[in-house]
Amino acid sequence: MKIAVCLKQVIKRDSTLRVDDARTWVRDADAEFEMNEPDAYALEEALRLKEQHGGEVIVVSAGPARVQTVLREGLARGADRALHVESDALAQADAFAIAGALAAAIGPEQVDLVLTGLQSDDQGFAQVGVVLAEKLGIAHATIIMEVKVEGGALRVKRELEGGWFQWVGLPLPALLTIQSGINTLRYATLKGIMAAKKKEIRRVDAPAGVAPRQKIVSLYFPEKTKQTRMITGSPADAARELVRVLREDARVF
Amino acid sequence: MSGIEVWLFRLVFVALVGWFASQMLTRYRLVMAGANNLSLDDVPGRVQRLVTEVVFQSKVIKAKPIVGTAHLFVFWGFCAFGLYTFVGFLQGLGVVDLSRRAWFHAYQAALVPFCLAVLAGIVFLMIRRGIARPAALGATVSRESIMIGFFIVTLMVTFLLEFFVFGHQASPTVAARVNWWVHMVLILLFLGLIPNSKHLHLLVSPLTLFLKSPQLQSVPNLDFEKEEVGFEALKDLPAKARLDAFTCVECGRCQENCPAFATGKLLNPKALILQNEAALLGGKHDTKLVDLYDENVLWQCTTCGACENQCPVGIEHTPVIIGARRGLVSNGEAAEYLTKVYNTLERHQNIWGPGNDSRQKFITSAGIDIFDPAKHEYLVWLGCAGALEADFQRSLRALFDILRAKGVTFGVLARERCTGDVAKRSGNEFLFQELATQNVDDFKAKQVKKIVTSCPHCLKTIGHDYRHFGFEAEVLHSATLVARLTGGAHMAADETVTYHDPCYLGRYAGEHEAPRQLLARFGATVVEPERNRDNPFCCGAGGGLLFEEHEPGKRISEHRYEQLAATGASKVVVGCPFCSIMLKGAAASANANTEFVDLMSYVDGKLKQAGARPDAGA
Ligand code: SF4
Ligand code: SF4
Repeated sequence: MKIAVCLKQVIKRDSTLRVDDARTWVRDADAEFEMNEPDAYALEEALRLKEQHGGEVIVVSAGPARVQTVLREGLARGADRALHVESDALAQADAFAIAGALAAAIGPEQVDLVLTGLQSDDQGFAQVGVVLAEKLGIAHATIIMEVKVEGGALRVKRELEGGWFQWVGLPLPALLTIQSGINTLRYATLKGIMAAKKKEIRRVDAPAGVAPRQKIVSLYFPEKTKQTRMITGSPADAARELVRVLREDARVF
Repeated sequence: MSGIEVWLFRLVFVALVGWFASQMLTRYRLVMAGANNLSLDDVPGRVQRLVTEVVFQSKVIKAKPIVGTAHLFVFWGFCAFGLYTFVGFLQGLGVVDLSRRAWFHAYQAALVPFCLAVLAGIVFLMIRRGIARPAALGATVSRESIMIGFFIVTLMVTFLLEFFVFGHQASPTVAARVNWWVHMVLILLFLGLIPNSKHLHLLVSPLTLFLKSPQLQSVPNLDFEKEEVGFEALKDLPAKARLDAFTCVECGRCQENCPAFATGKLLNPKALILQNEAALLGGKHDTKLVDLYDENVLWQCTTCGACENQCPVGIEHTPVIIGARRGLVSNGEAAEYLTKVYNTLERHQNIWGPGNDSRQKFITSAGIDIFDPAKHEYLVWLGCAGALEADFQRSLRALFDILRAKGVTFGVLARERCTGDVAKRSGNEFLFQELATQNVDDFKAKQVKKIVTSCPHCLKTIGHDYRHFGFEAEVLHSATLVARLTGGAHMAADETVTYHDPCYLGRYAGEHEAPRQLLARFGATVVEPERNRDNPFCCGAGGGLLFEEHEPGKRISEHRYEQLAATGASKVVVGCPFCSIMLKGAAASANANTEFVDLMSYVDGKLKQAGARPDAGA
């Protein structure tokens, strides 16, 4: 089975963030980056499927030169080769543009399965996977907790609300967006890291500029607001007023 | 000696010495086939150790005074008899007969007390082996030892007969010749038997001891450029480990002191070394080490260092165990309990998981400055536990208060990563080096010269392992520093406590006096548990085992807790965050209400209680 896994590079989770001058994104010039965690689970799932069914795992990322770090990491963990859609403009592109760039790289590969993380740790739109499936013209299922390959088709377990799950079948080729915790991640091994140095990262041209469909207008830290309101009056009145405020304004019950 | 006798002796000599030499050559080749890892740093230190541990047998005697003294007698006797044997060979081979010279007679007379000492020693040791049969020695060793024992007794008796009876006869009688032959042939036979027995230590242990690293658990960095990945198969064992295998005297001291073995695990450090020996001789060069031992064995070692530290002949166990772990980890075959820790370390650079903001919150609430070399003398290294674990944060606050009260200037780094202790000891060298290089960069950028930490594992990692990254600083455990700062304090004893020496402090750093001084100064009478100071019994946390939840056999922590409880003290003072976690857990399972106090909290509490400080009671 030929599997493509999309990896996003995100700013390290515990970084101290600062808003950039345009106030539309964080200052990432001096930030540390890491692999988007849900994508790490998608990669692990792909590696497990390969171990069971054979085939090839290709990791794909779209973004500036720095995203090669996550591709290298993917290769170190066991992916066979990597595709890099390189463009500085993709660093802040919207989900639609990213999906287009990824489709340009994955399309010609004619893969059987595409895996993405359910969503990204930074923006969390959960859109790239589904848009990419549409662009590739293949079936997709989201929030996947288990994958089974049965007779050239898939049976996957989706997570629903309230502790419910749903099993669905879909034909191959297909795209799945993988939920974190679906498996236990492997650690990076020395042998893997050494082998990764010899593996190929192929550059793919970014498709011609797509007009953004979505724009971040303003980015700011949540403002901490603390308001103190004094309730006066006789104890009975005050109590009545307090109940009303709690119910209608604070909506605690 | 008649001409026929001389020729006969030459024949026997060549045959037996030849047998000896061919066996030795086999072993020499096997040792030299390993990668050369023989280092000779600190030669004066090594020579000094050679004198105390070989000439004076200090380690043998310290561990077991009576047996050790008996062994010392036999050893000195052997040395004293060297020239006597040599003269015998010259005579027998027909080179020159010195046996009738006056000086030789005087030498013989001087040998008599040595001879009696050897006899006394060997008879005692034979009785011990044959009758008492200590378990650690194993069954087969005893039989072989008894035979060698008889050899030695016969050698001594024939010597005495020669000196007191036959030496005075004008012309040699048949009895005198028989006596001479028995003596000489036994020596040659003994020589021939040496290589394939534990008695090989007679010849090689001085070398092994000399080559043993001055630092306990010396496990050099892997060189990634050379594609080093650790020991996978037997052929990867380096020269020192091979020499070790042939040196083992099967005394069982390592086994007796191993916490894993004591609690019924599969791991036995003595068996490991002997398995190496057998496999080397058996030519199993391509056999994987995991198959040679048992897969589980390698993951049961807490890296407490007791085996290596107690071994009287300079054998280093931990480099083999950690080396073999590396071989597995490099292939993705780490024990299951480690996978999660590795993931956490990769993603969060600490062993617990919370982000840097949690550490930041702690620093802010404790009011600590960020280290500035122009303003601060010491860098306080928090470590994963100090930064993130609630109980140990309290201990760190206590340290901060003591330092402030004593006018010591200090700061902390804005950001710390785990030192990489767990990664290093459990064999994840890549992760270790990633963490270490980043920390070392930070130290260098901040011109750090003096570091104080309350975690003994950080102490060993920064103080010793980081030297391989070109970082040298004065690295102290908080107990050492606070003991220096409170020299004048004296409080009357008002309670009885017991103290648990952390392996990485008492054994590795050799720091067992400062904690006791502090306790004595601040009003505690210390009752010592079994296994203390430089040979403590491990709490079970080291080497990554803090994260192992399914320990086979009895829990090591439980065993240690029982030893501590047996002192009768209701308060246990500890100087390591991991010991503290393990022992508290063991006490909780035992439903005991023993109180555990970290050393720094203890001292700070007493200082405040005594109102010895302006902010007392604050
Ligand atoms: S280091 Fe400790 S646990 Fe490991 S083998 Fe040696 S004595 Fe046993
Ligand atoms: S390794 Fe050392 S301590 Fe252990 S049995 Fe051999 S000689 Fe004795």
